[in-house]
Amino acid sequence: MTAAAPEPKTNMGQSVPRYDAAAKVTGRATYASDMPLDNPAYAFLVTSAIAKGRIDRFDLDDAGRVRGVIDIVTHENAPKLKESKLFSNGGYAGTTIQPLRSAEIAHDGQIIAVVIAESYEAAREAANRIKVSYTAAAPSASFDSPGTTMAAAKGQNAQFKEDPAVGDFAKAFDAAEVKLTASYDTPTQHHNPMELFTTSCAWMGDNLVIYEGSQYVYGLKNGVAEQLGIDADKVRVVNPYVGGGFGSRGSMTPRTAIIAGIAKRLNRPIKLVPTRDQGFTIATYRAETRHEIKLGASRDGKLVALRHEGAEVSSRPDAYCVGGTKTTTRLYACPNVDSLVSIVRADRNTPGFMRSPPEVPYLFALESALDELAAKLNMDPIELRRINDATNEPIGGKPYTSRSLMACFDEAAKAFGWSQRSSQPKSTSDGNWLIGYGCAATCYPTQMGPSAARVRLQRDGRTRVEIAGHEIGTGAYTVIAQTAAERLGVPLEKVAVFMGDSDLPPAPVAGGSNSTASTCSAVMMVCDQIRQRLFKAVMPSDSLTDKAKETVGISPAPSTRAAKGDRSLDLEKAFDALGVGVVEEYGEWKPEGAPLDSFRAMHNGQVRLVGGHAMKDQIAYAFGAEFVEVRVNRFTHEIRCPRLVGAFAAGRIMNPRTARSQLMGGLIWGMSSALLEATEIDERNARYVNDNLADYLVPVNADVSGVEVIMLSEQDDRINPVGAKGLGELANVGTNAAICNAIYHATGQRIRKLPVRLENIEV
Amino acid sequence: MSDKSSSRPSGFDRRAFMAGAAGSVLVPMTARAAAQDASETVAQNPSLPVEVTLRVNGKDKRLSIDARTTVLDALREHLKLTGSKKGCDHGQCGACTVLIDDRRVVSCLTLALAAEGQEITTIEGLATDDRLHPMQQAFIDNDAFQCGYCTPGQIMSAVACVREGHAGNEPDIREYMSGNICRCAAYPNIVAAVKQAAPEIMKG
Repeated sequence: MTAAAPEPKTNMGQSVPRYDAAAKVTGRATYASDMPLDNPAYAFLVTSAIAKGRIDRFDLDDAGRVRGVIDIVTHENAPKLKESKLFSNGGYAGTTIQPLRSAEIAHDGQIIAVVIAESYEAAREAANRIKVSYTAAAPSASFDSPGTTMAAAKGQNAQFKEDPAVGDFAKAFDAAEVKLTASYDTPTQHHNPMELFTTSCAWMGDNLVIYEGSQYVYGLKNGVAEQLGIDADKVRVVNPYVGGGFGSRGSMTPRTAIIAGIAKRLNRPIKLVPTRDQGFTIATYRAETRHEIKLGASRDGKLVALRHEGAEVSSRPDAYCVGGTKTTTRLYACPNVDSLVSIVRADRNTPGFMRSPPEVPYLFALESALDELAAKLNMDPIELRRINDATNEPIGGKPYTSRSLMACFDEAAKAFGWSQRSSQPKSTSDGNWLIGYGCAATCYPTQMGPSAARVRLQRDGRTRVEIAGHEIGTGAYTVIAQTAAERLGVPLEKVAVFMGDSDLPPAPVAGGSNSTASTCSAVMMVCDQIRQRLFKAVMPSDSLTDKAKETVGISPAPSTRAAKGDRSLDLEKAFDALGVGVVEEYGEWKPEGAPLDSFRAMHNGQVRLVGGHAMKDQIAYAFGAEFVEVRVNRFTHEIRCPRLVGAFAAGRIMNPRTARSQLMGGLIWGMSSALLEATEIDERNARYVNDNLADYLVPVNADVSGVEVIMLSEQDDRINPVGAKGLGELANVGTNAAICNAIYHATGQRIRKLPVRLENIEV
Repeated sequence: MSDKSSSRPSGFDRRAFMAGAAGSVLVPMTARAAAQDASETVAQNPSLPVEVTLRVNGKDKRLSIDARTTVLDALREHLKLTGSKKGCDHGQCGACTVLIDDRRVVSCLTLALAAEGQEITTIEGLATDDRLHPMQQAFIDNDAFQCGYCTPGQIMSAVACVREGHAGNEPDIREYMSGNICRCAAYPNIVAAVKQAAPEIMKG
């Protein structure tokens, strides 16, 4: 066993290698732009050089003369597309700013023309030869820019339902023995998945195939069909592998229907490979946020009052908002809570989900503030969290289905060596390096969505699982194969999994950390349908059939839930009794509490996620604790993070290998959000400045040294049949606060604005 | 640097191309461009196809391409070798890394014409007789990838890193593998994979 494949603990699956490992190390894994096309034409985008105003005129003469140019598409001749509503308003789109509809410009980098040519090189040259005359207006870039508007999120965003509050915050804060008020800022960030935002479209008569990296093939299929005004059954989205998502491919962007429309008109497959910098404005991003936290506590550390006010930037037409107060108001026991989230509208492209959308910025604020309160109280920050640990969330009083927060703190603290920490800041050094230890909590809501699956079992045990799930690096193929193998009792190597194709049974968006719980629950259910059919054939007694689901396995018995009285089934005999060569079952699974229209919505490419705080009688979250060591150079102010330790409890761990990798990547993302990542905005022009991978800093290998992931055993039978909470977005939450807390411990300086750069340190 | 232009089978003249691309004086053009119009040459119009022979994974491949085609686009769009990935097209991410004459090169910043006569090795050419290269196996064993998009570039880079003698210790591996971005951040596993494969590769 390597460190990459941890020994499974209780309630963990096997650390088998990835199902898609061989394909990925040999170059055989085919991502969207790898798909072969028959005689494609190449598209190159032209994007707006102003953020607000209108296009007066295009001069296309030069561009049109470039050898190999087939067509130049602008708002004056673009295929007519129907509007699509924002995903949160019952649509599919991540933005309602639809380019090529008019001369109006809503943000910098908006698509204003598409060049189609025989080669990529010719399309690029022609795009560069297009001259555009604009009438520009002064844009509003961000929070402090003139011309922005600000209003409460509640009432303008259908998914933001409440500003959670309980008790009497004002009175309790006023009377509190110890008070803290602090403000925090987080920056704009871009996902920058390694795979560019490519789209290929090919028509076969009236049928359209789209090759595009997507975290939601059913959403994209239905969204593009709606924009083109055609039956969704005519559209197929294919992407067996996705080169990273992180939220950027969760909702439809305008480019897809544009390319589909042009391909239709030219009657030729079109391949679009946008540039990295175009990716900053033709897709979404994590918007900048601002926070004010007020905490009131008794001298012994009991929270008596908590208020979290957040503000987020969005575009002019779309009220996108992450609204993390739903989590921060419920994390700790506190009788008097108040909150408010507001949206600030600026001349920007519409933001969207980015890995742990609400928790990354909102827990940065809360977990930083708790550390400040601990320092005020002269109390160990772990103990402050222990004193305020909750079994029931304070807003509605609902119990957590399971909550291992303090167990995570204790395990991680032990592994990290927290007991070696001096309680005084600026008290530890090693030569010119000031050393600081910091910690913070993480949590992420457990979410599930309706999902379907088709499973086919042959008499030799070969199994085929079909589900329109998404392999974005999470290990989805692997855990789905493991689930089917275990449930049917067939060897893992006999299971084949087909995903990333909207012609397969629908699965929810690969977002909100719901995929494993949703898809594996559906696969489990359908495997059980097969088991029941086989048992009914050989033992046609009703009572046995009923028992089969829980207590009887196909040979050999499933390794989990092996109950007394398990009986093996001879597959050959069962197939003979049924008189068939193949048993195939299709099923649709939905989580408890899913709304009535769930299945219809599922087929229409709309997810009805349930879970987190929105469950009826309970609240479900995964938890973790993160510890970091930072070193700050006394003279150069260079900041290093040599150690990251995280302990996590997320229900059943399907595969400790893929889980560890995801959590490890999450911790590094968390470090990055504290020390590296920010999209810089030119305030005058509302333009992203560092829109490339050299200037937008993401971690490279040399930035990362000691990362330790600890997975705790946790069993939770109240969430979903699989018992998995989801962990794709758990580990990159709280890390930013832990690092700032460690910088305080190293230097005595509180930094409340991310990212922390050496120029922010004043030792 | 040795000048191999005289041995170029296409007869393409780099100086003529550069002069033409820079928009300066007309230079006699020797490329056998497929243009019907004799007055139009590659020097004036680089989108005219030129013929080039690339040696990829031990096989000669004859192509008729736009003179500005990069090795990456030649592989992906013309030879259907899509293992090498485009992540930035600017040499910033390393996803397109291939070996050219055993040196690691970002293929997005290398013109196909400039690679003529040289040995190009891509991820597709690493395994022999269906047996994975030790670095490929090490990437599997150490779960050194998640989405897999940067993986071909990481592996090509890792093979070169070992052969360069830069895989002797972890800090060296981290430093010399830092030209390849992994957004999933599998870095600790990549370091472990390089460590595992290094002795076997050095053994030959």
